[in-house]
Amino acid sequence: MNEPAILLIISLVCIGVALWLFWPDRGLFWRWQRARQMTERVLIEDALKHMYAYEEQGRHPTLESLAGALRTSDDTIANLLTAMQERELITLTAGNASLTTRGRDYALHIIRAHRLWESYLASKTGYDAADWHSQSEWREHELSPTDTNALAAELGHPRFDPHGDPIPTAEGEIVDRQDQQQLAQLRLNQPARIVHLEDEPQTVYAQLLAEGLHLGMQIIVIERTEQRIRFWGDGEEHVLAPLLANNVSVTPIQRDEVESGPFHSLDSLVRGESAQVTRISPRLQGAERRRLLDLGILPGTEIKAEMVSPSGDPTAYRVRGALIGLRKEQAAMIQIRSQDAPYEDAPHQGASPKDDYDEAAFVHAQNGEVSAAKKGELA
Amino acid sequence: MLNANSAAPAAPTPQNILDTATRLRWEVSGGVHESLVEAIYTDAARIADRAVIYPDKPPRFNLDRAIDQIVTSRLFGFPLMLLLFTLVFWLTISGANVPSDLLGRFFLDTIHPLLKSASAAIGLPWWLDGLLIDGIYLATAWVVSVMLPPMAIFFPLFTLLEDFGYLPRVAFNLDNIFKKSGAHGKQALSMMMGFGCNAAGVVATRVIDSPRERLIAIITNNFALCNGRWPTQILIASLFIGALVPAYIGGLISALAVVGVATLGVLLSFAVSWSLSRTVLRGEASTFSLELPPYRPPRFWQTIYTSLIDRTLYVLWRAIVFAAPAGAIIWLTANIQVGGISIAEHIINALNPVGWLLGLNGVILLAYIVAIPANEIVIPTMLMMTVLITGVNGGAGAGVMFQGNDAQTMSMLQAGGWTLLTAVNLMLFSLIHNPCSTTIYTIYKETGSAKWTAVSALLPLIMGFVVTFLVAQVWRLVAGM
Repeated sequence: MNEPAILLIISLVCIGVALWLFWPDRGLFWRWQRARQMTERVLIEDALKHMYAYEEQGRHPTLESLAGALRTSDDTIANLLTAMQERELITLTAGNASLTTRGRDYALHIIRAHRLWESYLASKTGYDAADWHSQSEWREHELSPTDTNALAAELGHPRFDPHGDPIPTAEGEIVDRQDQQQLAQLRLNQPARIVHLEDEPQTVYAQLLAEGLHLGMQIIVIERTEQRIRFWGDGEEHVLAPLLANNVSVTPIQRDEVESGPFHSLDSLVRGESAQVTRISPRLQGAERRRLLDLGILPGTEIKAEMVSPSGDPTAYRVRGALIGLRKEQAAMIQIRSQDAPYEDAPHQGASPKDDYDEAAFVHAQNGEVSAAKKGELA
Repeated sequence: MLNANSAAPAAPTPQNILDTATRLRWEVSGGVHESLVEAIYTDAARIADRAVIYPDKPPRFNLDRAIDQIVTSRLFGFPLMLLLFTLVFWLTISGANVPSDLLGRFFLDTIHPLLKSASAAIGLPWWLDGLLIDGIYLATAWVVSVMLPPMAIFFPLFTLLEDFGYLPRVAFNLDNIFKKSGAHGKQALSMMMGFGCNAAGVVATRVIDSPRERLIAIITNNFALCNGRWPTQILIASLFIGALVPAYIGGLISALAVVGVATLGVLLSFAVSWSLSRTVLRGEASTFSLELPPYRPPRFWQTIYTSLIDRTLYVLWRAIVFAAPAGAIIWLTANIQVGGISIAEHIINALNPVGWLLGLNGVILLAYIVAIPANEIVIPTMLMMTVLITGVNGGAGAGVMFQGNDAQTMSMLQAGGWTLLTAVNLMLFSLIHNPCSTTIYTIYKETGSAKWTAVSALLPLIMGFVVTFLVAQVWRLVAGM
């Protein structure tokens, strides 16, 4: 054993320890930081959230359910409940804990902070949908009511978080969505729109995302058995296990609200082909969506695939006279109608012919006004 | 929404308007903002379609498309790109030699002695003469003569390609590779620019409109071996690595060694881009689009003029601003004596143990500290300090930078205890260390964030320490067996 070998071993050990400590998310340092954050306040806030959720569902939170939700022991919860009672957040009667008005307001603030932060992550940052919830789980404890209000103002006072949950207002009002039901309970052949995707547990949410489900997606259930639920959405057939379908909420819509296909996305366009944009998928939010709008990719825009990079991706499209390179994932978010198959003749895919949907009607109305104004100006 | 409003009480007070609004906000269908934005854009497009008349173009041969077919074709796309960039670099390197030499001879061999005799004539004290002429003047003159010619060739050539419309096609061709490391295709362009000068490369990242990808491009630009570091690489490679093989292939081998280091830099910038996009930059917003403008004949003289003013002189000015004080510091450290030896020697002695661990030495580390303002002065500073330490013949005096011919340099360095390991690690460290102060300042100006500036400066430095340390230990282990 000579000196370089010893130094080498020492340094490799140092690097190993550093990686072990600081590996993103799973490193010991981050874990330690998270554990440190598990202060009494954080536990209380998490407990309030859990109790609020249970009371909303008309169930009684118990010591066991709290211990499960907070991943801690019954003893800790017992002490916690006493502390919460001292702060007049809950009342304990006959072994049943229930929220006081103060506790309820506090819980609503935490929920508001959580859902606003999720909205922030969705519209202003590049985090994956799968990361929104876990990031907000710790961020909710750091936002004061003032921060929360500033955040709401910055985001334009959103009403729903990116999963479709209503965001309580600063006054503690929260909308109760009576009109929604679980996908698993939806009648066959009843068109509906997805209004909520439950983000917990995370593995289930990740599977819903992987299936391509998104808020605002129009669906029709075509088969329901004990094992699976089969439905149409965005021109594709989707299959979910009932367990997963329980985490999707829908609201029924009228037949004349249904958009019809054929649904193609821009990435299916072969070089040299042209098409017309029908819409940008609602899955695309925030800066990325605005970027496409900035480039003039709008419903009705002519678009032509002109050349493909020698490395296979991106593809350059001719849009309004300009040549713009888009990556495959982006092109997949732009829905098109091919030019040689005008959509009146298009085969219907389990849905009635499309009437102009809300936005388009709005555009027509606006357009009438604009051209009238223009005539006036010219006269 | 309007109907619902009219159902509100007949005499609306501000308060019940607000109440109605609060009640109604839950009833509006989702995504109002998005729909509004989309409607406004659609309106604008319709107005434009109706109001703007396009001249009827006669069907003609579409030159743009023909060029695009060739430069983005599977067969010719990549070879053409390689050919063009090789040409640009060859023109830069071979074209800069002569003017660099002329400038060097003029500033260093003609003006410098003139200034020295002039100051002797008016009787300046030795320390003022040394500080001003040997310190400040010499460092500045050095930077100008080494830096100016290659930049005055490289930047205009590059700008011509840009102006013609070819560079966006390069980004288009290469995007897939950059995408895999979480970066933007246009990073290829800022990287190319970085081979000229990292400060200019950082400015060039402005073409990347996505915040995350732009930060990645800025932080990794330092791994493009800049113009100021090529001379170090070439000198050390030809002295130590070329000398390992017979003379007739020595040139080829040392050239390959330099290209190898530059390639390592490109690979590192991919690796660092990849890890940055997955760790610290994971949450930054990202949008991709790549506009491919129509080709147009470059406006030759205008391009030459603007690239000289905007890029060359801008970078040169900043380098001078930083190099002048560095010259003063170099001279002072070599001439102020504490306890019988100069400050420089004290520092070198203190740095020697660290230098040994990294397979370098105290002289190199000190040279890299005082040469933070400009990598160009690393070699002359190192030679001057080696002479100061070892006392071999050949120097131009304490604090006076110089560069001799290859044989002289080699004998000086060997007297300073240099080995092949020192040379290899110097080449690595020259590639992987903090950017020069001009670049750091530019990064701060471009990002406006002290945090990202610190990351860009410290990340490569730490990587450089780790790499040279590991190489040194493995080398010694293998050599010791």
